[in-house]
Amino acid sequence: MKFYKDHYDVIVIGGALAGLSSALMLADKGLDVLVLERHNLPGGIATSFVRGGIEIEAALHEMMSIGPKNNRLKVGKFFDDMGVDIDWLQVPECYHASLPGLEVTLHPGLERFSREIDEQVPGTYDKVLKLLKLCDTVFNSVNELSIHPMSKPQMLLKHEAFVKTAGYSTKEVLDTFDLPQKALDLLAPYWIYVGSGFSDLPFTIYSVLMADYVGYGSMIPKKLSHEMSLKMAERAEEMGVQIEYRQHVDKILVENGRAYGVRTARGDEIHADYVISSAYPNKVYTSMIEPLREVPAEATKMVNGRRLSLTAFSVILILDKPAEELNIKDYSIFRGDTMDTDVLYENLAGLGPYRYLTCICHNYGNPGVTPEGTCSFSVTVLPRVDGWKTVKAEDYDRVKHEVAKQLIDDMSDYFGVNLLDHVLECVIETPMTIAHYTGAWNGCIYGYAHTMEDHIVARLQTAEAERFIEGLEFAGAHAISGDGMGPAVTNGRKAAKNILDDIAARKEAN
Amino acid sequence: MKVKNFLADVRGASRVTAARMMAFDAASPALTDVDPIGNVSREWHPGPIELVVTGINPACKTAKTIRFERTDGKKLPFFYAGQYIVLDFKIGESLISRPYSISSAPYEARADKPFVEITVRRSKGDGFICDYVNDELKVGDILTGTMGLGQFYYEPLRDAKHVVALAGGVGITPFASMAKEVVNGTLDIDLTILYGSASSDDIVMKEELEALDGACDKLHIVHVLSGDEPGWTGEKGFLTAELIKKYSAEDTTYFICGPQVMYTFLRGEVAKLDVPARRVRFEVFGQVKDIAVYEGYPRDLRDETFELTVVRGISEVRIPAKACESIVVALERAGIRIETGCRSGECGFCRTKVISGNYFVCPEGDGRREADKDFNYVHACAAYPLSDMKIKIPIM
Repeated sequence: MKFYKDHYDVIVIGGALAGLSSALMLADKGLDVLVLERHNLPGGIATSFVRGGIEIEAALHEMMSIGPKNNRLKVGKFFDDMGVDIDWLQVPECYHASLPGLEVTLHPGLERFSREIDEQVPGTYDKVLKLLKLCDTVFNSVNELSIHPMSKPQMLLKHEAFVKTAGYSTKEVLDTFDLPQKALDLLAPYWIYVGSGFSDLPFTIYSVLMADYVGYGSMIPKKLSHEMSLKMAERAEEMGVQIEYRQHVDKILVENGRAYGVRTARGDEIHADYVISSAYPNKVYTSMIEPLREVPAEATKMVNGRRLSLTAFSVILILDKPAEELNIKDYSIFRGDTMDTDVLYENLAGLGPYRYLTCICHNYGNPGVTPEGTCSFSVTVLPRVDGWKTVKAEDYDRVKHEVAKQLIDDMSDYFGVNLLDHVLECVIETPMTIAHYTGAWNGCIYGYAHTMEDHIVARLQTAEAERFIEGLEFAGAHAISGDGMGPAVTNGRKAAKNILDDIAARKEAN
Repeated sequence: MKVKNFLADVRGASRVTAARMMAFDAASPALTDVDPIGNVSREWHPGPIELVVTGINPACKTAKTIRFERTDGKKLPFFYAGQYIVLDFKIGESLISRPYSISSAPYEARADKPFVEITVRRSKGDGFICDYVNDELKVGDILTGTMGLGQFYYEPLRDAKHVVALAGGVGITPFASMAKEVVNGTLDIDLTILYGSASSDDIVMKEELEALDGACDKLHIVHVLSGDEPGWTGEKGFLTAELIKKYSAEDTTYFICGPQVMYTFLRGEVAKLDVPARRVRFEVFGQVKDIAVYEGYPRDLRDETFELTVVRGISEVRIPAKACESIVVALERAGIRIETGCRSGECGFCRTKVISGNYFVCPEGDGRREADKDFNYVHACAAYPLSDMKIKIPIM
């Protein structure tokens, strides 16, 4: 029986947000696309599952780059343009910061956010707003420059702030603002969404993070992130994309430096002009390219020379009381015993006790998401892969429960309520869970660490030199825009654009 | 791109690219395939594994315990006591899968001579796989199995330390696994099993349970016989609220596994106990015996047979599908492989896209995601055709 066509324009390995974004964009331009996904549903970690009759969000805390209907940001606009109609709900706040000497909920809007910091640390309004406006300027430049190439004089004229700050770390730039520590602390909690300490984190990344989240707030899909993933997949199929679930791609076939297809674990050999891999370069260059001698030394050096970023550990609870009765008052709580991101980054290298926790109570952004009289509450840490790499299979269950217990106990202390007395359902997601369902290399969900040498600017500049195999593109957290569900979409579009550009260039050359 | 040329000129940016080049230059060119986190996930969940039958022993007059080892002799995957294994059978032209609670203990799967066991009771005429296992399966037979599935296990962050298990018939199996683990010292709970049987002859795994009871002060097994039996001095009758209360501690989690009729009875009894919902956990009970008993099922269609068009990739085949049998059963009868887990509508392994046609979804344990319902996805083990249908399933 014949399950596949003889040839596709593009095969996409992985039907998560990046892969589906690639597929949508390529199908929109009339290309014949096959998506092969190892799980039996789309989305990767942008998914949900049902426990005890309650549907539970697997991963999404909040989606950036969507924006309100009349003023969409780039990801929201892409969904609109592709006809992916998601029922977005606005998250009511930025975060509640629970930090040494600080208990405050901050809200989106550059002025409002600055005013709320000023209420805690009087006299900082002007400086904080100036900083956020700088972030916003850099953010606009990044968005514009990634779409519209521009001449050198124009760049100097229009994107001075971006150019000036591109080579500096977040710490270096923040230091120039001379802000009191408490104000700096309130400007730091989102760091965990990009996952590098401020000494290492490029200011460009910090700018995008702050301008997007603080400037515009964030969104969640009403029917959890599975709504987003499924609507992308359904729309792609409507546009002619063939999506096959439960297909594990073992090999990417390469000849004379050019990819020409894939082989699945089932044994199907499928041919295409281009392959987009959501699998990490680490996995592709060490075990997927067939034959392996087609992998140049530069490719393995690149992989070995980069630092994997963060994975995730979450304990998700369905509790048998409404949130307010358990003293849970916010959609999102960032809690740390310090806000020194460099110190916290070191703490993430181990197996706990973890010092910086991220909590979500979905009921505040999505009323009715759990049955009446109950609520959903998750505590997440985003550890580096390093510590988890040392966990042996026989110790896994013990370590998993110890870490989960620490997280629940810490938050129980904070709320003054023993959450363990209210657990209807308890789901623990670990780096191993992520590896199991998505195949992500070492369960890593953040791709490579954003550092001064592995910087979006550097990545853009060296992208051509780092295309080691013709016709093979990468889309996922490991690609240029890095981690996060919003950037996943951008990464997928970028891979598709590279292919469209290559096709156009080849046409012109003929 | 102009950006690159320009950025190459600015001081900061050149610092960035230079650092990148240096880092890569200094790195090793060796291929190192190291994914320890992925390896641990594969040790816990290796997917289907090849198993060989190494022992078949009676577990009572009407049930047998089947022992499996891996054909490669390796240890079996980790699992939690109470979880199930899905076994794949090829019988005639049919490809059929079935979930069975594992009756051996997790520690036995990791021991020096590792094995896993299921205990299966002969059916009363409606479960031909149970009969196949009892009558046809023999030592040396090779099957594939996927294990460590299901949510029916003790979770220390959720459940009370004092556990009362309510078992009926062959529903004792997950509790036998828990009991062995308790005696072994690797499951730290106080476990009382209230095991209801019609007569002492019907007690499944009787000798094994007797050997376990009393082996450790954290385990108590209480047989409850519903029929009159001369000389029986133990508990009599059904698993009533009154009886359950007698064996409960102040804070107790109840695990319940048994036949469908027992669930109906126990739902009522457990309600009388007045314990919070989080303290009561029912195992799923597998394929429903008669879908037509559910409200909303159009009984006038129950004897119909429809045409089911099955899309896999770019291929299509047409097969018959009875209105009274789930889509999974229609596929299995036609020899079309589909992955299944719980066969109760809950786990979603058999998630299937309905392209066209009408269907009925069993309301018991409908585990579908909300967005899946909007886009006509069903869990095929719990969906019944009510017209000619067209579905898309994964290529296997």
